[in-house]
Amino acid sequence: MNPSTSAAGVNRVGYFARFGIDEATIRATLAAALARGGGYADLFFQHRISHSLGLEDGAVNRASSSVELGVGVRVVQGDQTGYGYTEDLSPKSLLRTAQTAAAVADGPARPGPVELHVAGQLPQRYNLGVDWQDVDTQQKLPLLAQVNALAFAADPRVCKVSVHLADESSVILIADSHGRLTEDLQPMTLLVLTCVAEQDGRRESNHMSLAARSDIGFYSADRLEKLAQDTVRRTTILFEAAQPPAGQMPVVLGAGSSGILLHEAIGHGLEADFNRKNVSIYSDRIGKPIAKDFVNIVDDATPEHARGAINVDDEGNAAGCTHLVHDGVLETYLHDSISARHYGVQPTGNGRRESYCHAPLPRMRATYMLPGPHKREEILASVKKGIYCDNFANGQVQIGAGDFTFYVKNGWLIEDGKLTRPVKDVNLIGNGPKVLEDIDMVADDLAIDQGGWTCGKDGQSVPVSQGMPTVRVGSMTVGGRG
Amino acid sequence: MSELRVAAERAVQLAQTAGAGQAAASAFEARDVSVTWRDGKLETIAEATTSGVGIELYVDGRYASVSTSDLRPDALAAFVTEAVAMTRAIAEDRFRALPDPALYVGQSAVELDLEDAAYDAVTAVQRREVAQQLEAAARDVPGAERILSVTTSCSDSRSESYRVHSNGFSGGKRGTAFWLGAEVSVQDADGRRPEDSAFAGARHRSALPDAARVGREATERTLARLGASKGRSAVLPMVLDHRVGGRLLSHLLAPLHGGPLQQQRSFLQGRFGEQIGSNLLHLSDDPLLPGGFGSRLFDGEGLAARRFALFEHGALRGAYLDTYYARKLGELPTTARMSNLAWRLGDRDRAALIASVPEGILVTGLLGGNSNATTGDFSLGVQGFAIEDGRIGAPLAEMNIAGNHLTFWKNLAAVGNDPYAYSAMRTPTLLFDAVQFAGT
Repeated sequence: MNPSTSAAGVNRVGYFARFGIDEATIRATLAAALARGGGYADLFFQHRISHSLGLEDGAVNRASSSVELGVGVRVVQGDQTGYGYTEDLSPKSLLRTAQTAAAVADGPARPGPVELHVAGQLPQRYNLGVDWQDVDTQQKLPLLAQVNALAFAADPRVCKVSVHLADESSVILIADSHGRLTEDLQPMTLLVLTCVAEQDGRRESNHMSLAARSDIGFYSADRLEKLAQDTVRRTTILFEAAQPPAGQMPVVLGAGSSGILLHEAIGHGLEADFNRKNVSIYSDRIGKPIAKDFVNIVDDATPEHARGAINVDDEGNAAGCTHLVHDGVLETYLHDSISARHYGVQPTGNGRRESYCHAPLPRMRATYMLPGPHKREEILASVKKGIYCDNFANGQVQIGAGDFTFYVKNGWLIEDGKLTRPVKDVNLIGNGPKVLEDIDMVADDLAIDQGGWTCGKDGQSVPVSQGMPTVRVGSMTVGGRG
Repeated sequence: MSELRVAAERAVQLAQTAGAGQAAASAFEARDVSVTWRDGKLETIAEATTSGVGIELYVDGRYASVSTSDLRPDALAAFVTEAVAMTRAIAEDRFRALPDPALYVGQSAVELDLEDAAYDAVTAVQRREVAQQLEAAARDVPGAERILSVTTSCSDSRSESYRVHSNGFSGGKRGTAFWLGAEVSVQDADGRRPEDSAFAGARHRSALPDAARVGREATERTLARLGASKGRSAVLPMVLDHRVGGRLLSHLLAPLHGGPLQQQRSFLQGRFGEQIGSNLLHLSDDPLLPGGFGSRLFDGEGLAARRFALFEHGALRGAYLDTYYARKLGELPTTARMSNLAWRLGDRDRAALIASVPEGILVTGLLGGNSNATTGDFSLGVQGFAIEDGRIGAPLAEMNIAGNHLTFWKNLAAVGNDPYAYSAMRTPTLLFDAVQFAGT
């Protein structure tokens, strides 16, 4: 068996041993999955090892770890899916699980694959110098202590700090009924800093995170220093911040995590499962202009070490950079293999899943807008009265009505083209297609945010990235008071 | 049960052998089955039985919590040994220890009735039939010609767990749950495709409402969204539908947990005994409700479950304190997490509350938004209907409410008599005065 993944430039052996399985078991399981006439079947083996450490009240005083080992068996018949999973990887249990999933179809058996072959060489978007499994707890402890000290040193008003450091190594092995085998090792790390500050008897808190498919070297001194400075600054500025007024006004979104707007306003609505079911507000808009011609939006699996990057999707399909909006025209949906077959197009490598416990769905990866023709200063100067937002907590969308929201943790009032007063804790609400039409200026300062963004859909969470240049939206409803 | 008990006891033993002075372990097994049906045919079937074990380790005054689904004997032993080594590497914490065994004693004798003895009798054919009935009913409503798609589902689960502590606790839990639901999308004149849903759940299959009623409700709710528009920014009374009230309430309860209270990230810290809401804000945590989705005789730390007051006549009375944060705060633990909520109910139903409002907004859906647990500021997307002269009027969308919990709950003007049955929060319809709405 040839390896399809390598790390640190060294070829790995295949992962069969890790799962205690062999080719014959895989072939027999796939044959059982197709025994009732299903058109396609795949097995998704996963072994994920996670660790986390928590610092509170000055000491790293909690640790946790988890191991997830299991397999999901999927049978697809047209648009229909049968799914089962188990943690018991014995041949008997695999057969039983396959029989469960097979019941989605009701016809004569189809043959499984005669031979298995390894898919071609995968791209290598997150090779690590050191695997997380080879990093001792003792090596991680100084990072948390350092971030704690930096946060306290940044401002005397800081009164409580907590730091959370997580890492995981997920090995996946996908075998499908075409005989294709795909392996990947998917690392992830996340560091979250939470600060509480006190001034004149009032308290404010904020948190920020850093995340990447990187090794421990990601946490350079500079990066940690910047995280601590930014988090403390975004906490203490809240003492001066007000809630903005309620109502419609122009909104300027800062470069970086403002990509949350794309994620909610258009990304989810372009996931092809919603469109094949005819329930998305974008269901009949492919090929149509939906934004100004300087608006280009992509969903990209390729940014190296990004939280939302993948070498291959969870169906074993190649994952590249997908242009959703090209010069203002809606170009494609985000496809998994079911929707790609439905529409007669190639999958876009967006079939992702939370774990072996779930069937894949069309999901985003790193979603961002490409740079545009304007300058940040010119955008700010153009607004007489509005708000500027540059730090976000969460968002949500209604796929069919198109209404979406995102919650602004930090921002500023804009008055006569200048940032005048900080604002905080305000929800913004708009309608996806209308807001896209209303994006009337795009700057040249694209940044992809390094925060620990997680996207939820149908009860499944997957890591994603988002990015944005500074943009102006002509009008949105600002859920303030006053 | 006995297999899970053996697994939990073995995990505790492994932990102690590897060097943990104290240990607790929970072994669980859960079966989940679901069927989704869309536009006249099967969409998905999913079925699985899953198992695993979670272990809390107390090693030389240090603490870790770990879990694994790899129960192969060699793998489990190696996992526990590694976990103990990891625990040894971190800092001592004098507040970490298993609970006082005295708190394990005194479990209620009430019959919680959480398990349907006929669970195994449910067949795949029955599930498909329910999903089909839901769709047929959803399409048998005046105006159904505007339907773009109907997705229905029928699911059930059975879970079992057993928990063992090295200082004397030992106990098991079993329960079942049954759910059915329908989601409907319709075509609006302006290109929007409003969606809404109806669903229901129960511990016993026989307690589920008629599938046809749920299917019809889904379409009726969705058709009512047609022509929705943004209302004007204004300060108005708000009637909050009982299906969505729990989310707003969860923002009031999140800062009432040990972590935020001890870490000074709670606007309710230091306000015990103070008036937080109007005298209608009166609710308790009630783990002993028969058939409740959050019901239990003991909690996740083995503590015997008891009912306790959170708010009485608007005054803050209690908080969710686990053993660790209670020790750090110098308090006695209550429980780490919500079970069921029990409100002191009013005597009017939703229709009567709406009828009492000359001009206001009925909120039936929340969209995104958040709440700052440190300060109490919140801002949430809403949709619903105008209330005009006590009657439900035009549908509203793309609006927002904002406020601060410390003033917002003082405007609680009426509590309905209709606790929402399909959530452990069991929130009734609520009426608030003077809520800030943002729109045009």
